[in-house]
Amino acid sequence: MIYLDYGATSFRKPPQVYRAVERAMARCASPGRGGYGAAMEAQRQVYRCREAAGTLFECDPEQVVLTMNCTHGLNIAIRSLVKRGAKVVVSGFEHNAVVRPLHALGAETAVAGRKLFDREDTLEAFRRELDRGAEAAVFTHVSNVFGYILPVEEMAAMCRERGIPFILDAAQSAGALPVSLKKLGAEFIAMPGHKGLLGPQGTGLLLCREGAEPLLYGGTGGASRPREMPPELPERLEAGTMNVPGIAGLTMGMEYVLRRGTEDIFRREHRCLGQCVEMLKRRGLRVFSGPHQAGTVSFLPQMDCEEAAELLAKQGVAVRAGLHCAPLAHESAGTVETGTVRVSFGFDSGPEQVFQLERVLTRAGI
Amino acid sequence: MSYYYITFRSVTFAQRGERVLQAGKIRCTLQRTPRWMEEQGCGYCLRLWTKELTPAAELLVREGVPFRKLYVQKAQGQLEEVTL
Repeated sequence: MIYLDYGATSFRKPPQVYRAVERAMARCASPGRGGYGAAMEAQRQVYRCREAAGTLFECDPEQVVLTMNCTHGLNIAIRSLVKRGAKVVVSGFEHNAVVRPLHALGAETAVAGRKLFDREDTLEAFRRELDRGAEAAVFTHVSNVFGYILPVEEMAAMCRERGIPFILDAAQSAGALPVSLKKLGAEFIAMPGHKGLLGPQGTGLLLCREGAEPLLYGGTGGASRPREMPPELPERLEAGTMNVPGIAGLTMGMEYVLRRGTEDIFRREHRCLGQCVEMLKRRGLRVFSGPHQAGTVSFLPQMDCEEAAELLAKQGVAVRAGLHCAPLAHESAGTVETGTVRVSFGFDSGPEQVFQLERVLTRAGI
Repeated sequence: MSYYYITFRSVTFAQRGERVLQAGKIRCTLQRTPRWMEEQGCGYCLRLWTKELTPAAELLVREGVPFRKLYVQKAQGQLEEVTL
């Protein structure tokens, strides 16, 4: 298989990730629930994960909440920060993991910045909407459809200057771009464990400052007598038994990223992106590319995009077609009726995959 | 022989405390908090392998690791809360 769907999940992981999952299944009981060896080993695995995340994202271990996925983290963050009916600014490139929780809360959502790869437009529109009485902001770091890297440092600074709390969706950037809770000053940063952080599916991280409200209520292993959830992070947001094998794998993924460095991973993805964009343009396809683009590109084939992806799948190429759970981003780009075909690169992508894609596109008549 | 304990508000803080103390060359072990020491239900604590309770507590304060209480358990079993 020619895997080009890293935007959905990093399907292949470094070998130590698989080994860690298996080892944890064999050796770890429930963390925070017992004092015997297997329970303590589980607790050590969990803490090691928090430490790795703390190093990678510049925060304290107790600010690292382990979630099921990025959507889970975003739901906790949005429920904690956004009051029913509040005015919230979002970018024009948000995923449904942001749009739907806000809609469910009846938030008055203002969409700021619709022009792809146009940072000036993004910043100008964002500034305007913040100054129209926004109570909170939620924005993505990188568009999952188009790979547009938003100017999040500047957006964060605008929020800080105005005292407006914000949430960053780092679903597509964690593991490939620098993300710092300390530097950005976000209230929350949510990310999946199974994409750029190279962990198994069913894992995610929510980095929190304070004021987080639980989405789930239940046992945390400690301070059991009060009926209320404990006030301390991260336990406040971690009711129920944890996914220790997944967490152990995620730790290995993050330690791999820490050793290799996000710059090197980004450089590799970006090199593939450049080759792919050039190749797609040579074929006369409409390609969505521009400055400030991560390792993800969308294009419009001269046929239905789902059919094109189906043809590619039959030839062993894994890409994603449709709206990518981000109709807002497609509305911004004018592709909500057609969808796009998305090609996304990852930590182990190389030029040979672009050559293979080109060969298959020719064979499939795309 | 006496035993020395530091209790924490959460297992995560206890683990961070363990790292901080070990880095400060203060030997300690993470363990479940004895039932009679934890009024909130269950929890984890650090058992120190030294009498140096005060330097340990000061190091935790310096490193911003909140703890709940300090205890000494005497050889006869009686428990004393220690205030610094």
